[in-house]
Amino acid sequence: MAITFNQVSYEYDANSMWSQAALQGVNLHLESGILAGVAGATGSGKSTLLQMFNGILKPTSGTVQVLDITLKGGEKAPKLHQLRKRVGLVFQFPEQQLFEDTVEKDLCFGPINFGYSLEEAKDRARRAMEQMGLDLSLLSRNPFQLSGGQMRKVAIASVLTMDPEILVLDEPTATLDPVSRAELIQLLHRLCREDGRTVIIVTHRMDELLPFANQWIVLHEGLTVFQGTVKALIEQADRMESYGITIPQSIRYWRSLSEKFGWSEEDPCLSAEAMSKRIAHLVNSEDV
Amino acid sequence: MSEKLLIGRTIDTGSWVHSIDPRAKMVAMMLYVVIIILSNTWLEMAYVILFSLIIISLTRIHIKYFIRAAKPLWVLMLFIFIVQCIKVDDKNGAILLSIGSWNLYFEGFKLGLFSVLRMVFLVSFTAILTFTTTPGRLNQGLEGVLKPLKVVRVSPDRFTLMVSIALRFIPSILEEAQIILKAQASRGADLRELPWKEKGKMLVSLLVPVTVGAFRRAEDLVHSMESRGFRLGEPRTKYHRLVWRKRDTIFICFFIVMLVAMVWMSGYGTGELWTL
Repeated sequence: MAITFNQVSYEYDANSMWSQAALQGVNLHLESGILAGVAGATGSGKSTLLQMFNGILKPTSGTVQVLDITLKGGEKAPKLHQLRKRVGLVFQFPEQQLFEDTVEKDLCFGPINFGYSLEEAKDRARRAMEQMGLDLSLLSRNPFQLSGGQMRKVAIASVLTMDPEILVLDEPTATLDPVSRAELIQLLHRLCREDGRTVIIVTHRMDELLPFANQWIVLHEGLTVFQGTVKALIEQADRMESYGITIPQSIRYWRSLSEKFGWSEEDPCLSAEAMSKRIAHLVNSEDV
Repeated sequence: MSEKLLIGRTIDTGSWVHSIDPRAKMVAMMLYVVIIILSNTWLEMAYVILFSLIIISLTRIHIKYFIRAAKPLWVLMLFIFIVQCIKVDDKNGAILLSIGSWNLYFEGFKLGLFSVLRMVFLVSFTAILTFTTTPGRLNQGLEGVLKPLKVVRVSPDRFTLMVSIALRFIPSILEEAQIILKAQASRGADLRELPWKEKGKMLVSLLVPVTVGAFRRAEDLVHSMESRGFRLGEPRTKYHRLVWRKRDTIFICFFIVMLVAMVWMSGYGTGELWTL
């Protein structure tokens, strides 16, 4: 049991004239070791939800349980140092969070805060750079001289250096080029599948995450309106439009084909490759 | 951070005061400053307080916001109070407290209290201006009020453009700083959990990225304004135009009447008993 939200509400500027409810009674439950996607229209509370996973925002009411730490609304929070080590959070536009004067220092910031020696931190920095497919020569550069895409990758690497059990990312692929986007999603998938980490990704491009995610959460106006597997999501896809999300192309495609050929019992093929193989299989077997 | 920042936030209750021309409000606030400086006796102060409370209640904004507006200045107020207490050396006056060779006189205590009261009302009351006026209108009002400066060749639109950009940047820069702070907290350096020395270091480390961000933002802004044909000093049509109405004159008249009353009272020294 990795993450459980029970009737979690959050208000910005609580107790003032400007208070704004961002989440109102969110319930969700995520097992460890899964790759989860979070979708929702703009302003549905996705970013707020993510910041609760490591206690950056504390619930106004309700209970958030992450690993073995519980945060209750209205109560004083326990020390969150350990939680932050185990839950890595990559914010939206992560390139805005770089602040040191070299890439290496920025990458070492996290590990050093969590008590690793400088040597070990540097070692981790190097590994994270390699994981993100960045050239090691960038380590000595000033992060503000990097290109937008490189800055973003460095920022994600800076969270990977902490070796978190749960990795939470807020639209990590936005503004990246298509190749980097695909690579990043594959890397995150690998972190989940091979290292057994829990990965939670907020995305506006459901299509790129659909082939990999095994759980989906859909938010609408601060409420969880859907939580379940991809299969369940496909079944309920018609509801999505009322939540301000266009039905992803891959789901539309799969649905129209599976209805026609009666594939509803099969595992959905949601990537272009899987789909083309399935169609090839169909074509070959029926001797068209 | 943003929760505590009350300056420059508009609280819309749609009251009569909200609809007043910003130029009228600015002139009124200047008059108010004169009024409060002129009030020298407790009686006059009582009138000023009554007057202030009436205007404040007209805004239909809860009084707690006005009190909160004065809160950040408590250090300054304490300082003024202490200085007044130390300064007054009234050999014949009643002594409140003696520490060694230094005496706290009743007069000094009274004067200190009076100054603090003045300060509280000055800050809280002038908050009406920002509470009831949106930044855009405020800026237009400023431009209007500064028009006379054209005579001495100071361009008011240059000045107001500067002010409006500065005001526009405050929330963005704060937000940017907050993003970095949050990201740093996620990487194990939570400002709330750090010892004081580390806290200072962290805040200093914020300076570079926030400054870089501000410059980047300013550059983007310049380009986007230029690409839309903005040229400083060129005549422009206004999207919202300020129209002076009867109520604006009435609003200013309140303050003029109050000011005349103050001048009259201090001139005749009414109520000897009440003087400080």
